[in-house]
Amino acid sequence: MTPNAIVLENVELNFPNPKGFMSSIKNIVSKSEDDFKALNDINLAIQTGEVFGLIGKNGSGKSTILRIIAGIYAADSGSCRIKGSTSLLAGLGTGFSQHQTGVENALLYGSILGHSESEMRGLLPEIIEFSELGDFIHKPLRTYSAGMKARLGLAVASAICPDILLIDEVLGVGDPQFREKSKQRILELVKKTGTVVIVSHSFGLMTDICDRIGVVHKGKLEMVGEPQDAIKSYYDLTG
Amino acid sequence: MGESVEEDVLRQVGVKPSPLYAPLYALKTMTKNRFLIRNLVSREVRGKYRNAVLGYGWTVIEPALLTVVYFFLFFMLVGNPDKLYSVWVLVGIIIWGCFGKSLQAGVTSLTRNKNTIHIVYFPRLIFPFTAVISNIVITLMSCIVLLPVIYVFDLPLTIHLILIPAAVFLAGFLAIGLGMVLAPLNCIYRDIEHLTRFVVRAGFFVSPVMWTYEMALERGGFGEIAMFNPMLTPITLARHGLEGKFTTLPAEAILFSVLTGIVLWLLGSFIFERTERRVVKYL
Repeated sequence: MTPNAIVLENVELNFPNPKGFMSSIKNIVSKSEDDFKALNDINLAIQTGEVFGLIGKNGSGKSTILRIIAGIYAADSGSCRIKGSTSLLAGLGTGFSQHQTGVENALLYGSILGHSESEMRGLLPEIIEFSELGDFIHKPLRTYSAGMKARLGLAVASAICPDILLIDEVLGVGDPQFREKSKQRILELVKKTGTVVIVSHSFGLMTDICDRIGVVHKGKLEMVGEPQDAIKSYYDLTG
Repeated sequence: MGESVEEDVLRQVGVKPSPLYAPLYALKTMTKNRFLIRNLVSREVRGKYRNAVLGYGWTVIEPALLTVVYFFLFFMLVGNPDKLYSVWVLVGIIIWGCFGKSLQAGVTSLTRNKNTIHIVYFPRLIFPFTAVISNIVITLMSCIVLLPVIYVFDLPLTIHLILIPAAVFLAGFLAIGLGMVLAPLNCIYRDIEHLTRFVVRAGFFVSPVMWTYEMALERGGFGEIAMFNPMLTPITLARHGLEGKFTTLPAEAILFSVLTGIVLWLLGSFIFERTERRVVKYL
């Protein structure tokens, strides 16, 4: 059996319901009963080298699971253990500054994603080339179109090579040609990376690339299995 | 299964040092993430003066214009003040502005960066740090306005001018501690940022911005009360530095201000590290 890369055990996560003055004070110290249960008793082991998909309706908790693995949210109870470094691809281009040039933004975004200065300087030529921005790379970001920003974001985000790659619905940006290219790039990244957890609504893609898929429904991991079975179970659950 | 062997390699996500180490951890975070902090600071500083023809000139123009306004206000109320009075007001505005803006930026640092927080994890202490450091940088730039002032008012160019940047850093240091205390709370109650804005306004009058430490001393008992304001030291230090003297502030006042900063740092980093993970869920 291959070793595990991600192990979630009895993970629970509650989102506080800010109501009264005192109840929220209490919330900082301890959790209360009327919180919104975003994740309920999640148990999951993902093996090294596996491409694991998560499907479920909006608000079912898929992204929250990714955020737990990425360390953005801390589980209220249970544990999440991982092997190696993680990187979450979501909301490409977060933190971009409208008034700085493409290069400066690439460095900024790279540092936000946790790269050191020397790493970023090394990756820069590749990023510039992939983004296909040409001379625009030295112009302020406010002169960019939405698609150009997305391209720069993807170019930076996909230049990384973590041990565990977490992808949250980042496919489908830019014009059709670039969309195809970005899909290829992410697929390449998926192949290159040891372990991948991917959240997406495009079941076709998921069936193609995932080894196993988990179905999340109302904060619970309802089933884990072969892509076909999981998608069937998704339709059974959601109707 | 052979799993137990592999389990050792797995690491728990999000393990942090005990909050008791937080003050040191905060320092380490700052040095370890220099590149990120530098990029974030430059984003903030540049973003501030975007699309302005005068650009960074505003760092200088804003305190200068405010000084003119306050000078005339005071002139009308009190009559003919000391000719250096406007200079002291200018220094007061710069240093108090550094504290006030740093504090406001620090308090709102988590709420303003909500999108980033939802997407990547890096030590969140970086948000209040960046907010305060950006304002320190902007304030240091606005200190350039003091060069023509030194020339016009024939003030001495001495080594004591070093007290001015020192005062800026002290004001920022006081703001960063308080910012770390209040930023997590502001995630839950946005009331905090409105309250902070009020406190900064009110503090403008309570602190020696439009009056000086020497004026307070002349009034007797009032001066002693003024001593309990940690912002008295940075503002007065900067004024004395500009005047070309080391400082006539009593050591207690300086010590009080620095100690307040240290206590706020200890308290702030502890509270921030302790609550940060819970409060981000409110964002």
